Amino acid sequence: MNRRTTLAGVTTAAVALTLAACAPTSGSPEPGTAAGEGCDGDAVALDVWSWRTEDVKTYEQIFDVFEQANPCITVSFQAHLNTEYDQILRTGLTGSDGPDIAQVRSYGLLQPLVEGGNLEPLEDLVPALGDFDDAMLDGARGREDGAVYGVPLASQTIQVYYNTAIFEENGLEEPETWDDFMAINDELLGADVTPLAVGARDGWFVPTVHDALTAAQYGGADFQQALRDGDTDFTDPAYVDSIQTLKDLQEYMPEDVTGVAYTDAQVLFTSEQAAMFAGGSYELAFFQEANPDLDLGVFQVPPPPGSALDHPVTAGYADGSWGLSATTEHPREAETLLNWLATPEFGQLVADELKQFSPVPGVEYSDPLQQEMWDLYQENPAPYLLLVDYRYGDPVGTDLMGEAGQKLFLGDVDAEAAAQIVQDGLSAWWTPGE
Amino acid sequence: MSGRRTAALPTPVALLFLLPAAALFGIFVLYPMATALTYSLFSWRGTAQEAFVGLDNFVALFTTEPYRSQLPRAFAHNALLFAGAMVVQNSVGLLLAYVLHRRERVRRLFQVLYTMPYLVSPLVVGYLWSLLLSPLFGPVNAVLRAVGLESVAQPWLGDPDTALWVVVLVTAWQWVGFPLLIYGAALGSLDPTMEEAAMLDGATSRQRFWHVTLPMLLPVIGTVSVLTFIFSMEAFPIPYALGGSNGSPAGATDVMSLLFYRTAFSSGASNAIGISSAVAIVLFVVIVGVSVLFTRWFRKVERGLT
Repeated sequence: MNRRTTLAGVTTAAVALTLAACAPTSGSPEPGTAAGEGCDGDAVALDVWSWRTEDVKTYEQIFDVFEQANPCITVSFQAHLNTEYDQILRTGLTGSDGPDIAQVRSYGLLQPLVEGGNLEPLEDLVPALGDFDDAMLDGARGREDGAVYGVPLASQTIQVYYNTAIFEENGLEEPETWDDFMAINDELLGADVTPLAVGARDGWFVPTVHDALTAAQYGGADFQQALRDGDTDFTDPAYVDSIQTLKDLQEYMPEDVTGVAYTDAQVLFTSEQAAMFAGGSYELAFFQEANPDLDLGVFQVPPPPGSALDHPVTAGYADGSWGLSATTEHPREAETLLNWLATPEFGQLVADELKQFSPVPGVEYSDPLQQEMWDLYQENPAPYLLLVDYRYGDPVGTDLMGEAGQKLFLGDVDAEAAAQIVQDGLSAWWTPGE
Repeated sequence: MSGRRTAALPTPVALLFLLPAAALFGIFVLYPMATALTYSLFSWRGTAQEAFVGLDNFVALFTTEPYRSQLPRAFAHNALLFAGAMVVQNSVGLLLAYVLHRRERVRRLFQVLYTMPYLVSPLVVGYLWSLLLSPLFGPVNAVLRAVGLESVAQPWLGDPDTALWVVVLVTAWQWVGFPLLIYGAALGSLDPTMEEAAMLDGATSRQRFWHVTLPMLLPVIGTVSVLTFIFSMEAFPIPYALGGSNGSPAGATDVMSLLFYRTAFSSGASNAIGISSAVAIVLFVVIVGVSVLFTRWFRKVERGLT
C-alpha cells in the first residue's frame, strides 16, 4: 500500500467514525403496532419523552389506545434514566433532536425550561385544563407569568401507612387524637416493635416525614398563605413547634436515625419489623410488590394540642406534567395528543395501569387503599410546603430541611435553630410576601 | 541524537494518525471546557443565555449564600480526601508493593486481588459499602458486636465525625491497587546493584528502604501524588453513593463535584448554569494550578537529591 492509499484509507475511516458517532440510535423499530394503519395520508410520528424507564411497556399500551382513535398520529415513546433526564431534556429542547411532547418536572424544577422559552403555554390549546384543581395546576405554572405549561400527569399525597396485622396483634386502632397516636407509639415500643420506620440519612426524606407527621400542627395551607402574604416566616412559633414534635418523635424511630438510609426504612417496614411508615403515595406499589402479604392501612396524624389547625391534613403535590416543545414541527398533532392527555380516559389509564394518582377530575381507583389516600387528600388537602413553594431558588427548601433535620436528630441544634437554618437559607432568594 | 532519526513514521503520516484522536479530544474535551468558560461569563435565565456579565458569577460564588459557606466547606472536604488518600491509600500501596517486591510467586496473585475492586464501578462500590455499614442491617456493626466490640459499632455514615473518613477509607479500598501497581513497576525497574552495594556496606533493611529505595522512587511518588490530588478534587461517585447529592449527614461529606451537581441540576435558581459553570471553572483552575506548582516543586526536590 503506497502512501496515498494509506492516506485515503485513514481519512475514510476517520470520516466514517465521526459519522457513526453522530448518528442517533435509530436502528430499533418504532414501538406500537398500529403505526399509521387506517390513515389515508402519511402518519405523523410524535416523539414523547419520559423519565419513567420502568413504565415504557405500559405507556406503549396506553398510547396504542390513542393511536387507534387517531390513526394518522403515531406516538414514539422514549424514556431516559430518571437521574439524567433533566440534562438530556434541556439539551433536547434547545437542539433539533428534541421531543414534541415531554414529561416535565413540577414547580421550581420546571422554571429553567419556562424561562428558557422551551415550552409553550397551554391554556388556549387545552381547554380541559380549566377543570383541573388549581393546586395541581400550580405545579405546572411559570413563576413569572403564571401561565400553565403542562398538562398535570400525576400527583402524590403524603400520609402514614401502618401494618394492620401488627396493629391488631397489639390491640391498636387508627388514632383519632394526638394522645391516641402517642399511646400507639408507646405501646409498640413496649412490644419491641419499631413504631416509626424513618431513615434520615437521605436528606430529601426528612421534610417528607416532617410534613406527614406535623403539617396540621403548623397550619398547612393557612401557613402557606401567611408566608405568601408576608405575615410570617419559618421562625414562626407554630413551625418551630412542629419541628420540636419531629424531635420528640425521634425516640420512636430507629436508633441512630441519621445513619439509617431511606431504603433501610422501607425494608424495616416491608419486613414487618416496624409498624408505621410516614411517606408518599408513590410507596404503595413498592410496598405491595416487596411484600404481597403485607396488610396495609393509612391514616392522617391527628394534630397535637395547641396546633394551628384543629383537624388532620394530608400533604400533597403535583408530580410532573406533559409539556409542549416550543420547537415542535407538528403542533397540530401535538395539540391533539395533549388534549387526549387531559381526558378522563387517559387519567383512568394512569390510575389503573400505572397505579398513580391522576389529577384529571373524575378518575376512580380500583385499589381501596389508593382511593382512601385520595379521599383523605380531597377532604383536607395541604401543600407539601417546602417542595411546592420553596424550590424556586438555591438552596431549595427541601434540602435545607434535610440538613436542619439531620442536625436536629444528631442533637447539634434545637427546634428553633433548625427553623432558623431553613429561614436563613431561603432568605438568599426569598422574602416573605413576595 | 536527533528526534527525526528515531521517529517511527515520517511526520506527515504521524500527524495523520494523531488527527482522529486530536479531533475527538477537541470535540469532547476542549470544546466543552471552552463552553463552560463562556457559560460562566454570562447570566442565564433557565436554558437561555442572557447578558455578558464578566466575572459576576465568580463574585457571586464567593460573596453570596449559599455558595459563600458551601464552597469553602466542600473544598476543605476535598483537601481532606486528598490528605486521607495520601496517608492511607498511597502509603499502604507503597508498603504492599514493597512487601510483594521480589516475591515472584505470590506477587501476581496479590496484585490481581488488590486491583480487583478498581474494576467495579465506584458507584456500585459506594452503594455496596453503604449497605455493609447500615446500622440496622449492615454486617460491619453485626460483626463488631459479635466479637464484643459493641462500643466500636457506630452509625458510620450517620455521624458527621466519621462519615468523611468512611469516604476516605472506601476510596482507598477501591483504589489501593493503583499505587500498588505503579510502585510495583517502579521497584521492578530500579537498579538492584544499588541496594546490593548498600547491603555490602552493612545497611539494615530499614536503612536500605529509607536511604536507598525511597529516594530512587521519588519521581514516581511525585506522579502518584499529583494523580491522587486530581482524583481527590474530582471525587464524585463514592461521596454521592455514600452521602447523596447533599453530602449527608448535615453536609459532612459535601465535595466540590456535589456542589456543582446540586447547583446545576437540582436548584431552582434562574442563573443555575452561570453559577455552576463558575464552580466548574474554579475547580479546574485549582486542579491545574496546584498540579503545575506541585510538579515544579517536586522537580526541584528531585534535582536537589541528584
